[in-house]
This record gives sequence, C-alpha cells and structure tokens, in this order.
Amino acid sequence: MTDHYRPQSEDEARDVIRQALETGMALSVIGGNTRSGLGNCVAADAELCSTGLCGVVDYEPGEMVMTARTGTPLFEIEAALSANNQMLAFEPVDHRGMMGTQGEPTIGGVFLSNASGPRRLSAGAARDSLLGLRFVNGRGEAIRAGGRVMKNVTGLDLVKLLAGSHGTLGFVTEVTFRVLPRPETQATIVLYGFDDATATNAMAAAMAQPADVSGAAHIPRASAASLSGVLGEDTAITALRLEGLSASVAVRATSLAARLSAFAPTVTVDAAESARLWRAIRDVAPFQTFQDRPLWRVSVAPTAGHRLVAALRQKAEADALYDWQGGLVWLQMNGEPQADVLRRTIAAIGGGHATLMRASAAQRVAISAFEPQPVAIAALSARIKAKLDPAEIFSPGRMAPDIRKTMQIAGMRG
Amino acid sequence: MQTSFTPAQLSDPHVAESEKILRRCVHCGFCTATCPTYVTLGNELDSPRGRIYLIKDMLENDRPADREVVTHIDRCLSCLACTTTCPSGVDYMHLIDHARVHIEQTYRRPLADRLIRSLLAAVLPYPARFRAALALARVARPLAPLLRRAAPLAPLAAMLDLAPRHAAKRPERAVPPDSALTRGRVILLEGCAQPTLDPGINAATVRLLTRFGVAIATPKGEGCCGALVHHMGREQQALAFARRNIDVWMREIDAGGIDAILITASGCGTTIKDYGHMLRLDPLYAEKAAKISALAQDITEYLATLHLEALPKRDLVVAYHSACSLQHGQKITALPKLLLKTAGFTVRDPAEGHLCCGSAGTYNILQPDISATLRRRKVKNIEATKPDVIAAGNIGCLTQIASATAIPIVHTVELLDWAYGGPKPLKLNS
Amino acid sequence: MSQPIAFLPPRADVLSQRERIIADLGRLLPDGGLVHEARELVPFETDAYVAYRQLPLAVALPRTTQEVSAVLDYCNRNGVPVVPRGAGTSLCGGAIPQPDAVVLGLSRMSAILEVDLENRVARVQAGVTNLSISETVGPEGFFYAPDPSSQLACTIGGNIGMNSGGAHCLKYGVTTNNLLGVTMVLMDGTIITLGGSHLDSAGYDLLGLVCGSEGQLGVVTEATVRILAKAEGARPVLFGFATSHEAGACVADVIGAGIIPVAIEFMDKQAIEICEAFAKAGYPLHVGALLIIEVEGSEAEMEAMLAAIVAIARRHGVMTVRESQSATEAALIWKGRKSAFGATGRIADYICMDGTVPLGKLSHVLQRTEEICTGLGLRVANVFHAGDGNMHPLILFDANDPAEAAKAEAAGNEILKVCVEAGGCLTGEHGVGIEKRDLMRFQFSQADLDQQMAVRYAFDAGWLLNPSKVFPLEGRPAA
Repeated sequence: MTDHYRPQSEDEARDVIRQALETGMALSVIGGNTRSGLGNCVAADAELCSTGLCGVVDYEPGEMVMTARTGTPLFEIEAALSANNQMLAFEPVDHRGMMGTQGEPTIGGVFLSNASGPRRLSAGAARDSLLGLRFVNGRGEAIRAGGRVMKNVTGLDLVKLLAGSHGTLGFVTEVTFRVLPRPETQATIVLYGFDDATATNAMAAAMAQPADVSGAAHIPRASAASLSGVLGEDTAITALRLEGLSASVAVRATSLAARLSAFAPTVTVDAAESARLWRAIRDVAPFQTFQDRPLWRVSVAPTAGHRLVAALRQKAEADALYDWQGGLVWLQMNGEPQADVLRRTIAAIGGGHATLMRASAAQRVAISAFEPQPVAIAALSARIKAKLDPAEIFSPGRMAPDIRKTMQIAGMRG
Repeated sequence: MQTSFTPAQLSDPHVAESEKILRRCVHCGFCTATCPTYVTLGNELDSPRGRIYLIKDMLENDRPADREVVTHIDRCLSCLACTTTCPSGVDYMHLIDHARVHIEQTYRRPLADRLIRSLLAAVLPYPARFRAALALARVARPLAPLLRRAAPLAPLAAMLDLAPRHAAKRPERAVPPDSALTRGRVILLEGCAQPTLDPGINAATVRLLTRFGVAIATPKGEGCCGALVHHMGREQQALAFARRNIDVWMREIDAGGIDAILITASGCGTTIKDYGHMLRLDPLYAEKAAKISALAQDITEYLATLHLEALPKRDLVVAYHSACSLQHGQKITALPKLLLKTAGFTVRDPAEGHLCCGSAGTYNILQPDISATLRRRKVKNIEATKPDVIAAGNIGCLTQIASATAIPIVHTVELLDWAYGGPKPLKLNS
Repeated sequence: MSQPIAFLPPRADVLSQRERIIADLGRLLPDGGLVHEARELVPFETDAYVAYRQLPLAVALPRTTQEVSAVLDYCNRNGVPVVPRGAGTSLCGGAIPQPDAVVLGLSRMSAILEVDLENRVARVQAGVTNLSISETVGPEGFFYAPDPSSQLACTIGGNIGMNSGGAHCLKYGVTTNNLLGVTMVLMDGTIITLGGSHLDSAGYDLLGLVCGSEGQLGVVTEATVRILAKAEGARPVLFGFATSHEAGACVADVIGAGIIPVAIEFMDKQAIEICEAFAKAGYPLHVGALLIIEVEGSEAEMEAMLAAIVAIARRHGVMTVRESQSATEAALIWKGRKSAFGATGRIADYICMDGTVPLGKLSHVLQRTEEICTGLGLRVANVFHAGDGNMHPLILFDANDPAEAAKAEAAGNEILKVCVEAGGCLTGEHGVGIEKRDLMRFQFSQADLDQQMAVRYAFDAGWLLNPSKVFPLEGRPAA
C-alpha cells in the first residue's frame, strides 16, 4: 500500500473516490488508525484517511446536539462538551491500550466502530446517539442521512446501517450526534470476592432495582490483580455505578447497598475512584499487558456470559472480564484464539457474537474477526454492500471475507 | 370520519342518528384493544371499528343485511367495553342497536337460527314459560353432547349446559317497614329470568332495603324490561315490553312518592335507563319514558345514598366481577366495591376486568364457542385472585361464571344483606 | 391546493388472476385465515389516516411465522404486492392497501412468548399490543419504555415498522433504542433472525435498518425487546402558562439547563379543552398553554428536580403549578394526554402532523403553524412531545366538506415544510406512509432518496412490499 489520500473537504473526497472508481483502486478507509487491528485484513491499493476533515461544525448545548467532521480528534470533541458540562452518553472505548496502537482516535472512528463503553447498558450504544451523517458512497455521490433531531423516522435509517460499518459502506465526512448533560457526581458500589455466577446474580438483582444503575461489571480475581492502584484488593470485584445529582446518588447508593447486602457486605467508593475504575473497565486495562495474547470481545445475554466462560475453560485457558451486567465478556486467551470452540459454545448457550480484537498476523488471516453469519443474512449484507459500494472500493474484506465464501458455498449447494 | 348519505336517507331519523354517531369515529382503533371478540379472534371484522365500518357501508348503500355482515354483528356481545375506551365518544350502543333492527328487518336467517331465536324470544321474558323450560332442561340435559355435534343445534346444547342443576327455592318475603321510619319508597323491578334462576337476589334486596327503612312498591302487571329481545333486534317486541312497564310504573309514580326504580340485574338496568332514547320518537311515550329512565337506578347506586355504616373487617376475600352492563353500560365501577369494602369484605379486582365473561344476554346460547372461550379466560383471571366468593351485579354473569368454577358466586346485594344482619347466602354454606 | 396523493396503478395481471390467487392463498391459510368477500374487505380499506381509502385484493391473517413465509413466498413468485398491517392505527396511512395487494395482518399473532427478567428482555409475537408487554411485566416491577399514545391498541410489529416513540422517550429513547432482536420474513419467504437477547449485532446493523422501515423490507413476526426496572416513583406536574411562546421558551431552558425529565408534553388552549372534556383530569382551563412535566425516582430526587424546573418556569411567568396528588390523578393526567387525538374527534375531523424541530425553533414553528391554519380559515390544536421537539398540530376540518379537507391537507404540507426549513424533519414517530411520501423531496435530495431506494432493493427487488408508500412514485429506479 503506497498511496495515502487525506482529503480536506467532502468535494476532495468525492474526487478521490471517483478516481478510484475509474481506476479500479481499492481504498482502505481509516481515521486516527487507533483501531487498525479491528476487523479482517484489508486488501487495498491505497489509504483514504479522514483526518483532513477536522473540526466541530455546529454545537448547540441547549439542544444537546453536535455536528462534527469525522476526522475531528475525540479529545477535541470531549473538551468542547466538557466546557458545557456535557458528554457522549455511550462512553466511547479507547482501544489504544488493548490493541497496542498509537495516535488519536477520531469521532468518525468512534461511530464507525460503534465503540460503546460501560454506559451502553443504560444509555445505548454509539449508534443510538448518532442522529445523522454525510457520506460519499461508492459511486462518488455525497449522501445525507438522518438529521439533527432526536426523533426522526423520515425514510430508511441509513444512519444505523453506516454506524458500525467500519468504513466498508462509504466514506463518512460528517456526523451529527446527541450528547447528554454530565452527571453531577457518581459513586460505585463494590462487592468483593464473588465467583462469576454469584456476581451475575448480584448484577441482575441490581438491574432489577429502581436504582438507575449506569454500569454493572465483574472483574474476576485473576483479572483484578492487574488493577492494582485502582481498588487495591487482591480479590474479585463486582461493581455497580450510580450517576446523577449528589443527593439522588447518595439515596440510591444507600438503598441499593441495602438490597445487595443479601449477597455480601458492600463498599461504596467515591466519585474520583469510581471514575478511575470505570475507565479501567471501559478500556479493558487488565488485558493491556500481554499484547501477544489473543483478545476477544463477546456479546451474549447477561446471564449467559459466565456460563460461556465456564464452558470454554473445559477446552482452553482464558481470563475474563465482564461488563454490561455480564453480557459483554472480554476474553484473553492463554494460547490459541480457539475461534471455533468459542463460537460453537456461544451458539450452544443461546447465541451472541464474538469479535477478535487482538491476535497475531497469522491468526488474523486464518480467523474471521467478526462472527460469521447465517447464509441468508450474509447474502443480504452482501447485497446491501453492493448497493452502497458496487465496485467494492471501500475497505474490501474488512468486515466480511466470509460473505463471498459463504455465497460460493451457498451457490454450490444451488 | 367522512360519511356519504343522501338527504333522502337522512330524513329517516334512525339513519340520521347513526350518521351522527359515525361522524364522531376517527378510526383510531383504540376500541379494538378492549373488545373481547377482537382479542379472541384477532380479526378487524370482529372488532368495534370493523363493525362500525360494516354498518356504515351497509347503511350508506341502503343495502339489506347479508350473511357476512350478520356474522360479524351477531358476534358482538354488546358489552360496550368499546364505549368506555373510545376517546371520541362514539355512541356504539345505539349504532349497533340500529344495525340489529336493520338486520331483523332485511335479512332472513337460516331456519335453525330463526327457530332458536323465536324460542328464546317466546320463553325467556316470561317467567312461567321459563320455569317450565328449565324443568324440561333438567330432564333433557343428557342430550346436550348429542346436540353439540350438529352445528346448528349447538345453541340448544349451550342452553342445557347453562340451566341450573336444581330448581331455585322461593324465599319468604320480608316484613315491610314501619311507615313512621320510612326513609324512602322505591319500585323494585321484579324481572323475568332472574327471579326464576335465583329468587334469592331480590329477596335479599327486599330484606336489606326494608332493614334500612325503605318501602318497596310492587306494582301489578310489570313484565320483562325488553332487553333480551332488544338485543336480538326485535324492536317492536322490545318497545311493547317497555311501554307496558312504563304504564305500570307511571300509575305507581302518579300515585306519589316514588324515589327510584331499582334494578338488581344490571343488564335490565342499562335497557331501562335507555327507555327514554328507545321511545324518543313516540309522541305518546317519549316524555314518560324519559322520566322512567331518569328514575332508574342500579341497586348499588341507591344503596350508596343510604350511607351505610362501616363494619369491622371480616375474614372473607371477595373477587368482584364487574358486569359489562354496570361498568360499560351504566359507568358504575367503584361503587359496588366501595359498598362491599364498607361492609367489611376484602375486595379484589381480577385482571382484565374490562373483558366480558361471555354471558351477554342470550349470547352464551347463540355464540357458544366464543362465549366459552371468554368464560374460561374470565374464570382463570378470577381464580387467580384466590377469592372465597365471587360477587357480581348481573344474573347473566352469575349463571355464566357459576357454570365454570367451584368458587361460590353471589349477587353483591346478597353479601351486603348478610353483612348488615341478613342470613348468610345459601351458596356460601356448601 | 394539493392534488390527491396517487397510489401505484394496480397490476392488471394480478387483478385478472384474483380468483386463482384467493384460492391459492386460502389453501395456505386454513382456519379462516383469509378474508376475501367483498363486504368484508371494506373495513380494511384504511387505517387511522382515513383521508385515503383503497380496497385490498384480500386480507391474510396468518397464525405462525411459517404461514407468513408461505404467503410472502407465494406473493413474491406471483408478483402480488403485500401491505403489512398490525392494529391499523397508523396516522400516516402506512397500512392503507391497494386493489392489487394482499393485506398481511399480524393481529392473530398476539402471544407473549417469553419473559426473562434476569436478562431484562421479553420475546413477543408481532401482533402483541405495546401496552400488554408493560402489563405483563408490570407486577414484577418492570416496563417496556416506548409508549406511543395509541399503546393500548398498536402492536409491536407496527411500532417496529414506524420506529414509534411516545411521551417518555425523552429519557428512554424510541423503539430502535429498546429493540434487541427480531424474527422476520423477507419478501421471498426467507425467515431470518436478527439480534437476540444480547446487545448489538455482528455485521451490519440490519436491525437498526429494519426498525422504522415501514414494512418495506420484510415482515417482522417476533421481537425481543428490552424491559426496564420501573422507577421508585413518578409524578406528572402541570405547568400552566399564559401563552404558547412562554411554555416553549420554558422547555428550551429546562433542557438547556441539563435537566432531562422523563417527559415534557405540551398542550395549547384548544387541546386542553378537548382533553379535559374527555378525561376530566383537572387540567387548568384558564391558561393558554400547558406543560405536563413528569419526573421520576425517589421522593428526594423528584423534589430536587422539580425545584429546579419550577425555578425555571417562574422565570417564564408560569401561572399555575399543580402536582398530581395520587396515582389515580397521575393516571388521569396521562389518560387525557394519550387520548388527545381521539378526543379531538368529539369536535371535528382532524389530520395530525408529526414534524420534529430543534427546541430553539419551537415557538417560531408554533407561530407559523397558527398563521398557516388561520390563513386558510382552519382551526388547529397543538398537543405534542415538547422535550424532543416532536410537534403534533391537529388541523381541524369537516371531512364531509371536500374543499375544507383539501385545505387541511395543504395546511399540513405547509407546516411540514416549515419544520424542515427550521432544521427538523417531516416525521418524528408516525412515519412517512402515504401521507408524507410526496414531501420527501423537501427533506432529501434525489441522490439521498436514490441511495435509500437502492438499499430497499437489496431486500425486495420486485418492489412488492408496501409499494405505494414512503418514496415518491416518480424517480424510482428501475428494478
């Protein structure tokens, strides 16, 4: 890959894409490149980079809406929001630590990878905050989708389709998203020493309470050890976060702690410590140290997470960290990625999906980074891709090397 | 909603009234959600909105009723849950009444259907005939399974199933109150089917009222209120019943001192409260009918005016079944429960209280399948409240629910009579 | 004055084959699952958008996903258009059929299949009503958040089709934010499952694309939805203002101050009178505009949030503040609000608009709405979700007066254009349907629409699903 395009405007981007269309050049769409290991290896002739499209276009704090060009560094967005006591509701994950990458994450990268953190459980994913966008499709046409108001059902929701599409459906130039007031304070109720099953029960019990829990995670002992300095105990940690007005958080913390006392004594940690803990959970701090160990991100039903890990451990050695009430499982493999075993087990316990976040180059070639899909859905996805990017210009192979394989198999079956 | 009637069509006051009702409907569909037949069958045609549309189409085109329209109108229970739900205030009751008359006048039903309807209209409103029929039913009950196999005869099987196993005993009458202590004077509708099926209800009412100093007039010559035939679209027969009762009661009223006409079967109450409307076009009766309707009260409405004392709590759980004619027809919802609570009972509301039990006059005979489905659903909801006894304010519901549960079911007034010094209802002894 | 909205011309080959199609479909749907008698088709000719009516070819009422698949497969092979229908409560004509189309009604698929409290999900058939989910999980302390005003009657399938919102989505989001999975049937009869009890999808977000697609991409037969723990308490509070302008400014300031109540609903004088007449909820009748602001949480939380809101309202000259004193009163306040559209039927026919505008433009758009309607000699009542700028002007008219009906439609179109010009959109939660189809060009360029239509083709290459809706008839790409 030699060429690198960094358009400064949507028009320039269209020119690059039209040129690619004419010359049959495949483009790897990138932003800050902090998630470059995410997805399958891309067979492209050049890079199309969004970082030339930079800056906040419009920000109305009173309406809780911001429009920014996709290459805008996330820290700029967060600084602008912070100045108005606002934030991104979905708590975007910073993938640099776990993936061993450098550089600055962009707001476009956040939405195109649907990078949602612990608050996804209560406030929705990145895709839920995204209200509108502009993109250049594979025909070199500039397209607008969605808008800038929260409620909008006018036409097909291409916004959702593009969110999380990892740059395979178009080159997004601008995003408009909803923001939320930053909570006045936060507190976290911590329970120590639970095994995974007990922790899952405790988290389900907490989520069934009218306490507005905004984060529910469990860090088993083996993973908690590397969190030294955050909570400083050599034991498993089950954490439940409460956010809001100070008075309200205090009231809810007391009543939730009382409810959970049936499980074990609880400790309530203050705002600063709580913030540090949830940042560590968000960025999967326990699994940042051993970059040579494969890392999976698995989404299953909350009560299935610990059963998945238990079943997997019959066949392979793995460390786990649970977020989203137990439904988001970060799995660090002590050895091979064991993709087939993992994916079979997920299917057996009621379904979900596993994404390979970190692996050796050889492993990445051999394993589909995203969960392979049933034939009908893979075929549908391929048809949709063809409607946005008929010449397969954008990041070919990144999301679905298996689509064509699957189609071939389906074709052979007749 | 848009309508298209010609001025000529609108010169018929019945059509004009229906047009006015139709104009109010905005087709929002809220009514579908609380309609027992839509909930059961899941077909727009068996919902209030669907029927309104069928009726609109039939009336606008001046068309005689046909098999399809009749099928769906016949399936309506006239429970009027839709009327409670409707935010636009569509007067569904009078629209479906009009449609039923139109059907009766323009549609020839299959022979078996005609015979069964004629039989019902000739027997049910007349206590002597009804008693004889019940005696016959007790003998013929073994035939029910046989009848059920032939579709047109299924209603006969349903009739046999519903008939009580034993003839009701006639209870003794209460002694009238001392005239010096009289707090009021009322007419108590004797009724037709109810005293035959369960004479204990009016007996309890008389005892209770008498105990609280209410004198009861029993004018001679009163008959069926007309509800049963009214719901079959037999308008002339229904109006004849109404006129007869109006004449009888007006004589008593003119003699002086009647505060109210009390009804213990809420199905009858809804109809008597509608006499004023039914006879609005009859110059001789319009005014009298309006007066009678204004005087008509459900027994619980009148009891509430007596401000009965609060009694200590007793250890008995009552599941209160709200008869459609009370809750939807007359909009009496909280009152009976309040009376029961004041009398010391623990009252529970079964889930889906807005749904009909499937009794609905002669519906359980004419539409046995839907009726049985609704009965199962109702009984399940009632039994889920784990009651000691079920209370309701309408004889139709009492008969219907009793045929499918072992839990005793009584009229609200029987529990009140017991609580305020009367005998324990017989059904609670077994 | 606007022209009546055109439907696609019926396919002659389908009409000429009517008898055969009915016979074939009848075999696929035993047990009374096919409605085809002329009389019986009439009640299916429209939904809650009664301005337009078209008789369908037949109505299919399947009981299982397999039956839905069989019907779609048959229609696909025979080129028969299909119009999906839930409870027929669409306010934009989303379920209005056409003479060559089979209405596919999901009303007989109304079972709640599974409630999983630990994972906080419910799996239901598409014909289940919105409210019945909350009623089922309510006794356990849970609820399903999206609450369109028609929630008593409207179905989850329809909610997914229109991505329905409601009063409480200010805090809890709309359908797409509370939907975890669906089982759906594609036009060729293929049954697919998207999502499940877990969060987010592998691959493209097809679930997000399907939600709000107005029956254009497939027919949803089952849904897995998120259920939430109910708040400790909830209290609607009535704030009466002299004018709509003050009420609108108050809303913008409340949100601007970073306060997000569960709901902020707006009613103008006309709407207050209509709703009070039906619900007798105790709405103040002497004010010019009313906000219903609901706060929830513990007593302390509600008090704290209310104090902040009251302080802002005072700055805008609030005339009355009344807190509901009991659960019954709270229920009445909501009953009045949620029955507003139907209750309007007591005084006139109406069409209901659904544009959404940025909060800062509320007052401006309200004023323009009033000007447009009075300019045409029409009355208007406003009742809407102010917290998220989702407006619902109810334009009152006499449906038996064709000239006035046309004026009402013209006024509606003008109002929606004002919404788009103000930076908003044509529809916030009701959908485009037939009603707003020809206005799509005010919001989207041809290239935008072409891209949406191209994606639609990936699902239904024969353009058989709800074909007259959403996209303007002119400029559709060839198959």
